[in-house]
Amino acid sequence: MKTVVQAALVIVVLSAIGFLLGPWQTDIYRKLLLWIALALSYNFLFGVAGQVAFSHFTFYGIGAYAIVILVTQVGMPLPLAALAGVALCVVLALAVAIPATRLDGFYLALATLALAQLFIVFLNEGGAVTGGTGGLASYRLPDIAGVTLSGPRYTVVIVLLTTLTWGVISRLDRSWFGRACRAIRDNPQAAAAMGIDVARTRVIAFTLTSVLAGIAGMVYAFVDNTVNPPIFGLENAFLLLFMVIIGGSGSQFGAVIGATVLYLLPFVLAPLIGHHHALVFGVVMLAVILVQPRGLVGLVKSRPGAGQ
Amino acid sequence: MSGQTTPQDRGQPLLTVRALTRRFGGLVAVSGLDFDLHAGEILGLIGPNGAGKSTTFNMIAGTLTPTTGDIHLAGRPVGGLPPHEMAARGVMRTFQHNNLFAGMSLRENVMIGMHVGLASSLLGVITGRAAVRESEGAARRRADELLDFVGLADVREHDVTTLSFGQGRLLEAARALAGEPRLILFDEPAAGLAPAECDRLGRILQQIAARGIGVLLIEHDMRFLLELAHRVVVLDHGERIATGTPEEIRHDRSVIAAYLGSSARTTAAGGTDA
Ligand SMILES: Nc1ncnc2c1ncn2[C@@H]1O[C@H](COP(=O)(O)OP(=O)(O)O)[C@@H](O)[C@H]1O
Ligand SMILES: [Mg+2]
Repeated sequence: MKTVVQAALVIVVLSAIGFLLGPWQTDIYRKLLLWIALALSYNFLFGVAGQVAFSHFTFYGIGAYAIVILVTQVGMPLPLAALAGVALCVVLALAVAIPATRLDGFYLALATLALAQLFIVFLNEGGAVTGGTGGLASYRLPDIAGVTLSGPRYTVVIVLLTTLTWGVISRLDRSWFGRACRAIRDNPQAAAAMGIDVARTRVIAFTLTSVLAGIAGMVYAFVDNTVNPPIFGLENAFLLLFMVIIGGSGSQFGAVIGATVLYLLPFVLAPLIGHHHALVFGVVMLAVILVQPRGLVGLVKSRPGAGQ
Repeated sequence: MSGQTTPQDRGQPLLTVRALTRRFGGLVAVSGLDFDLHAGEILGLIGPNGAGKSTTFNMIAGTLTPTTGDIHLAGRPVGGLPPHEMAARGVMRTFQHNNLFAGMSLRENVMIGMHVGLASSLLGVITGRAAVRESEGAARRRADELLDFVGLADVREHDVTTLSFGQGRLLEAARALAGEPRLILFDEPAAGLAPAECDRLGRILQQIAARGIGVLLIEHDMRFLLELAHRVVVLDHGERIATGTPEEIRHDRSVIAAYLGSSARTTAAGGTDA
């Protein structure tokens, strides 16, 4: 009961903020929330389950493109398009994970990199379906039961996405499933001896988190009302990886901190030092990794007992 | 201790091993091995280094596939099943070198041992179904009981990396028990333990057997094993050279010859003095 009240309070506060912001801040706020949602699910995949996968941002893109194509070109109603988008993510995740997770972890890295590259090629060469290099634009979110979700109302949708992702991930993490994932990460052989089906658990973790990324992508599609290939390239895939590592791999709070710091840092740095901010950005990341290998969350949680 | 009645005549054996053979290329590591193990029985498997003990153990645990031969658990064939399937059927194991999950508390380590019983629908987990939370709470309490049983209750929230080697052994025993197994396989549990720790572990093994769980104990330290086992199977060069009560084994000429004929004299002494 207590957690329900807490969750409701968080949703109300985060939504209220959306109503107070101007257009420029709203854009930053929404994307920050989306980065946090992505970092939360990626942290489960990379940090908790220990799977070195580079496809998380790709699934974000698959979700985004899928919903736009299915709604505007196929003409599906929004809920059906969303379900079909989830189904697509499940199929693609299984197609990558089932062969790759049975092999060494290195093959998952390779297979997911290949998927990420293939996706970009597909977007660029997809003709009218994907809009090629220019992507898709000039569409809008259909009304839902007669309600137009735009402006701060759409920000509420994003707040719900992020808080639900938090809820799902924290329940998974604290359950037998999260324990099994961490056991596999630490020692697959001993995990199997405890009755954990290592391959199956890995496939499920990969598929679940990839679907969460896909759903975030569906929400993202109607933030800018345009999707195009450069957004879903490897640059953002690696930024996501750094968010999780800098924040503190395996920690949910760390994922939030990492996403917030790395997403907002360029906005703070750019006015101060212009286009050198990329360099400073790199130095800051390196410094954090060297000084605090447990990530920024390690600074907060290094007090004994703060972990529980 | 060796005069104890064996639980042999309790009907169907828990584990039957018949003509079990494993080859590695030209080397026959285990050759035509036969033995039975009953519920509540501690069966010792001994033999000098390289005799095939670990190979036998790994075939029963599912880590190695038998080349030929049969393994039955409560009458059902289980030979060649993967480790997690063996665990799901009630066969838990410990490792020769402590194999704990670092970065987790003792309690969490024990709770991982309960995986088979706890794994339920993920939808229930995600939706926060009450039954899921209740079974999690019950698992927690049971983990604490088991930690109490092996004498580690005081440090149950500590990270396992803070444990001594001997404490790690005890934790492995608690973790193996957590799965409510029918059979536990212990691979040289006394190796590297101080005498007091050996005694404590020995009592725990006896209590485990007293709960009706079958115990397969692999050791090359004869003293520890002969004190505990109800029956002993002796391996040498992959073959069973003797079987009987500890008393019979102590006086068996072929066993004495096998042990004296190998470097085992030093290892048998080294086990407890280390
Ligand atoms: N994976 C393996 N590949 C090749 N030979 C092995 C392998 N495992 C064990 N052996 C050989 O099988 C024989 C039995 O080994 P093992 O079962 O480990 O004996 P024990 O545990 O009794 O010391 C030894 O000769 C060993 O060298
Ligand atoms: Mg061995």
